[in-house]
Amino acid sequence: MNTRRTPVPGIVIDGVRKTYGSGDRALVALGGVDLTIPAGRFVSIIGPSGCGKSTLLRAIAGLEEPDAGTVSVFGATPDEACAAKMVGLVPQAPALLPWKNVLQNVTLPHRVNRRAERRRPTSAGTADASAAPDLEAMLREVGLGDALHKLPAQLSGGMQQRVAIVRAFGLRPDVLLMDEPFSALDEFTRETLQEHLLDLWDEYNTTVVFVTHSVTEAVRLSDTVVIMAPRPGRIVDVVDIDLPRPRGAAQIKTDAFHHYEDFIRERLQEAWRSPASAAA
Amino acid sequence: MTTIPSDALPVPTVAAVDVEPAPARRTGGTSLTSWLRPSRWLPLTLMIVVLALLWWWGSEQLPYLLPPLSAVGQALADNPGFYLVNAWVTLQEALIGLAIAFVTSFILAIAVSEVPILRRAIMPIAVVLNVTPLVAIAPALVVAFGFGPEPKLIVTALICFFPILINVSIGLRSVPAPVMQFYSTIRASRLELLWHVRIPSSLPFLFAALKIVFPLSVVGAVVAEMFAPGAAEGLGTAIKLASANNKLAVVYASIFVLALLGSALLAIVTAVERRVLHWHESHAPAKG
Repeated sequence: MNTRRTPVPGIVIDGVRKTYGSGDRALVALGGVDLTIPAGRFVSIIGPSGCGKSTLLRAIAGLEEPDAGTVSVFGATPDEACAAKMVGLVPQAPALLPWKNVLQNVTLPHRVNRRAERRRPTSAGTADASAAPDLEAMLREVGLGDALHKLPAQLSGGMQQRVAIVRAFGLRPDVLLMDEPFSALDEFTRETLQEHLLDLWDEYNTTVVFVTHSVTEAVRLSDTVVIMAPRPGRIVDVVDIDLPRPRGAAQIKTDAFHHYEDFIRERLQEAWRSPASAAA
Repeated sequence: MTTIPSDALPVPTVAAVDVEPAPARRTGGTSLTSWLRPSRWLPLTLMIVVLALLWWWGSEQLPYLLPPLSAVGQALADNPGFYLVNAWVTLQEALIGLAIAFVTSFILAIAVSEVPILRRAIMPIAVVLNVTPLVAIAPALVVAFGFGPEPKLIVTALICFFPILINVSIGLRSVPAPVMQFYSTIRASRLELLWHVRIPSSLPFLFAALKIVFPLSVVGAVVAEMFAPGAAEGLGTAIKLASANNKLAVVYASIFVLALLGSALLAIVTAVERRVLHWHESHAPAKG
């Protein structure tokens, strides 16, 4: 069983609304979303395009100001949390700096916003935030030992995304936000990266919010899967995945795993068929 | 124009070039060994021979418009010091003007990319001025700024200013959104973003501008010299005086030196670009 199910609230989203545009053409990206994510959980957000899952992620990262409602990250506002470097982001594209090698790309985040280390509340989340993690060791751990001094252009897409994951984990963030990080990768690479991700998560005890399109990926990775639907963007169901970890290749083939997949697919289709309100 | 006598052209060798197996891949652009292959040097050599023949034919037909190449060569050989001194003057004007343009336009590009109000105020004007042929304004500027080196530096700097400003200000804002999002979530300061992310991102744009502007700086210097009332030195002045005295060989010798100067400047920028932008797609090493 999982020992990280502490009741400490990690992320609390309370009545968050976000509308783009106005009048007839207004798009309600988030129509009053409530969600509580306990510290240390791995939570996936799944849903069709336009359901507001990326908007929700950006709201947690403080990149998007909600029209109404509040987001709290370990008791702080998203802005305060980001200023204290408590939030790490893995975007859809690896977003590495092409003129820096792998090691430099991973170390640069430690050299910017240095005041953050002092601002960071010690009580929040991760156990040992003071010690700088051994980034070289982390890169070796995910199989990038030979690529430390290579430029991003010399790496495959999967390797680049691994660098982006280490870059985010290397910050020892309390919250790791991942926006469809594996969507551009082939099936085999994707599975390898999922394993690396789970290993790192296991080690660093980070709260992860993982946006994805893939039901299998969501079930395999998560403690909890949040199902969202569009127009207006809303949460239709929150499913706890009660499967033992580690979830290897054999796990994926079990009946229990399929049961979760089927259930989530059904809920997604229901939400798609019966929108809460007429589309504008 | 009439055609050149076909027997003057070594046509058969052209076919031989085509038979030569094509190199499978680009080997590092201009590596010296690649120039040993005939497929590399032969086309250019042939083209030069053709042009020289055309020139020779033209100078036979129109001796008052085109001096024979031998006369141009003679003019260069007779008085190399004259061309060196004047080239040095023109080069100095070009490089100082360029340096002024580079520093001011780079600083303004940063200001414009960081402050939206400035951008909206300045960029439309910069775009219009960039497409205005500054060469046409040069005489007026020269008159306005009087004797001495100032008008030449100002004309040169102005010509070089806008391409750098426009390219760099676009380059500074060319950072992909996911990169900005990552560094925003860790709240990198504006200065840190500028130094670590924006300025390096703008370098390919900067070098694209420099490749235009380095040769252009010579154009600016020459045009300014031609219109400057008190100019005594520089290749532009030399051309003006020589053409007034109908010394065609000197005119063409000066033009030849100017062409060399522009090419040398372009070669320097390209070489520096190769070093600085080794990471960029245009020079990226192969995946492996």
